[in-house]
Amino acid sequence: MIFDPTATLISLLILFGISAIIALSLNLEYGIAGVPNFGQALFVSVGAYAAGVTYTRLLPLLAGQPALDPCGATLGQALQLRSEIMRTMPLVGLANFGLTLLIAAAVGGLVGYLLSYPALRLKEEWYLAFVLLVAGETARIFARSWEPLICGSNGLSAIAQPFAWVGDVRTKSLLFAGLTLLIALLVYLFCERLARSPYGRMLKAVRENDAVSAGLGKSVSRARGQVMFIGSAIAAVGGVLFVMNTGFASANDYGVALTLDVWVMIVLGGLGNNRGALLGALVVTVLDRFTSVFAIQMNMLGLQFEFNYVRYILFGVLLLVMLRYRSQGLWPEPLRTTQAHSMVERKMKSEG
Amino acid sequence: MTLNLLMDSLVATLQVGSMYALMAVGLTLTFAVMRLPNFAHAELITVGAYAALMASLWFTQNPLLLGVIAFAVAAVAALLCHRAVYRPLQRLNPPIYIMILASFAVGLILRYLLFMLADGFELFDLRIAAPQTVLWQTSLLTVTSIFVWVTPTSIALVVALSLLLNRTSLGRQMRALADNATLARVIGIPVQRVHDVTWLLAGGLAGVGGALWGLNTFVNPLTGWLAILSVFAATVLGGMTSFVGAILGAYLVAFAENTVMQALNAWLGVSFALKPAIPFVIIMLVLLIRPQGLRTS
Repeated sequence: MIFDPTATLISLLILFGISAIIALSLNLEYGIAGVPNFGQALFVSVGAYAAGVTYTRLLPLLAGQPALDPCGATLGQALQLRSEIMRTMPLVGLANFGLTLLIAAAVGGLVGYLLSYPALRLKEEWYLAFVLLVAGETARIFARSWEPLICGSNGLSAIAQPFAWVGDVRTKSLLFAGLTLLIALLVYLFCERLARSPYGRMLKAVRENDAVSAGLGKSVSRARGQVMFIGSAIAAVGGVLFVMNTGFASANDYGVALTLDVWVMIVLGGLGNNRGALLGALVVTVLDRFTSVFAIQMNMLGLQFEFNYVRYILFGVLLLVMLRYRSQGLWPEPLRTTQAHSMVERKMKSEG
Repeated sequence: MTLNLLMDSLVATLQVGSMYALMAVGLTLTFAVMRLPNFAHAELITVGAYAALMASLWFTQNPLLLGVIAFAVAAVAALLCHRAVYRPLQRLNPPIYIMILASFAVGLILRYLLFMLADGFELFDLRIAAPQTVLWQTSLLTVTSIFVWVTPTSIALVVALSLLLNRTSLGRQMRALADNATLARVIGIPVQRVHDVTWLLAGGLAGVGGALWGLNTFVNPLTGWLAILSVFAATVLGGMTSFVGAILGAYLVAFAENTVMQALNAWLGVSFALKPAIPFVIIMLVLLIRPQGLRTS
């Protein structure tokens, strides 16, 4: 195997950007607002399905071509049509990308809000954990059998990244990495601003003690519903980038194993700390790449053994070890004080 | 819908419902006594299925013995999970979500260990090799030996569990812990031992459920996962902490998945591809209409 350090680094950056977006969204939901989302894979998959729909319906429309059935008799032609458009019409490709992001965010947010609505109104709001886990699996089973989304269990290929028209392979992936990291940066800045705002403090109050927050006149269930909307929208944006990076939409990519990966990221990094989520995303991405390269090497040496299994076991053990011995994560949530708070503190100190 | 299809679907309801009941009471047990919605329950089911499968391939085909082996192996697996993961974690007094997350991780670890095992011995999609015969066939109804093994075994185990819970001092201690853990500690109930026994029982019942499932269809590392969504629906429908509720819920979910589904298909043309959505629909309806489920309080 020829090792190309630059290409490896670029692909690592892309994966880091995508993981960071998805981890930041879960950190917003659970780390900051305390809403347990055990169906993160579902919201990521919304992005993939949105891309599946736009690349087969919207893209030909934007390019002024008739949309062909992407799954049946015209499978090959439809595939050729969309790769042709992505290769030759940069503006159409970019417009389609922008619209896909918007659609994914809107649908993702709505799905997140609607799914969490019944459970968030109960006193035992951990029912939400059940609901989202079951919803995620049900959605995955559906996407595998319902053709209009991504051609059922066959999946949908040729979901090209928006810079597919650039000739040089290196430049092309560099541009996509830049775009992914830019979106990740925007998401980070958004989450950070949100967490520091009065709204963010209200969310943290809800997380720490919902009875007190409700007593202070905050609507706990509404706040949690809003957070599910925002977080799911962000996760769906991450899903769009995820599916464009692999170029192939398959329902099986969005199982519980993906959900666990995202939880490993935020627990490893530090629950409630956006920078921790970034750190966790980085560590998990590097570990993931490392184990998969290692697996390929071992298989090439003639060791017939599925190292992917070991990877999942390793990640599970890592999560349990963190929960047991360092539940605050590698980069714990910093104590945030407001100006008023520090003034009171100073005053109390000076008065003894 | 023809009478034939109706009878078949009712037999399926009884058979599948009994297996769901076995799995659901185990899940309810750990939740009621330990306050842990154990997401790894699916993998305990699969552990039992694999234990029975391997035993049936290598040394015995006696269904009763297979059930005992499945019970024992899954019970020990559950106890190990409790001692190695849940108990040390619970001492830190974490939020319930952290416990759920831990059980989620335990489930995936077990699942991929089973994948490794299945990979190593080529044990994918095999049926447990117990003899299958048609016992009784009329124009309306076919009853196989599998039905005779699955349904009475499940019902007998569920009855035994309710006797244990209601008639023995151990059961009384478990119920006391479920009702009020602090009070139970104060009056000197041996909490650790009761927890251990609870895990042994929950794991064992899940294991037998898995073995029966493997007799009925086939075994692969996702066997338990296929059943667990319906089992979650059954426990939510049963009200999470009620054993009677869980059992009723299990049969109701099975009824919806078999008989109701069959009727919807025959009269309204609803595709069978929608069947996997039934547990989800049930959970959503319960949460919207009657969150306490079948519990009376």
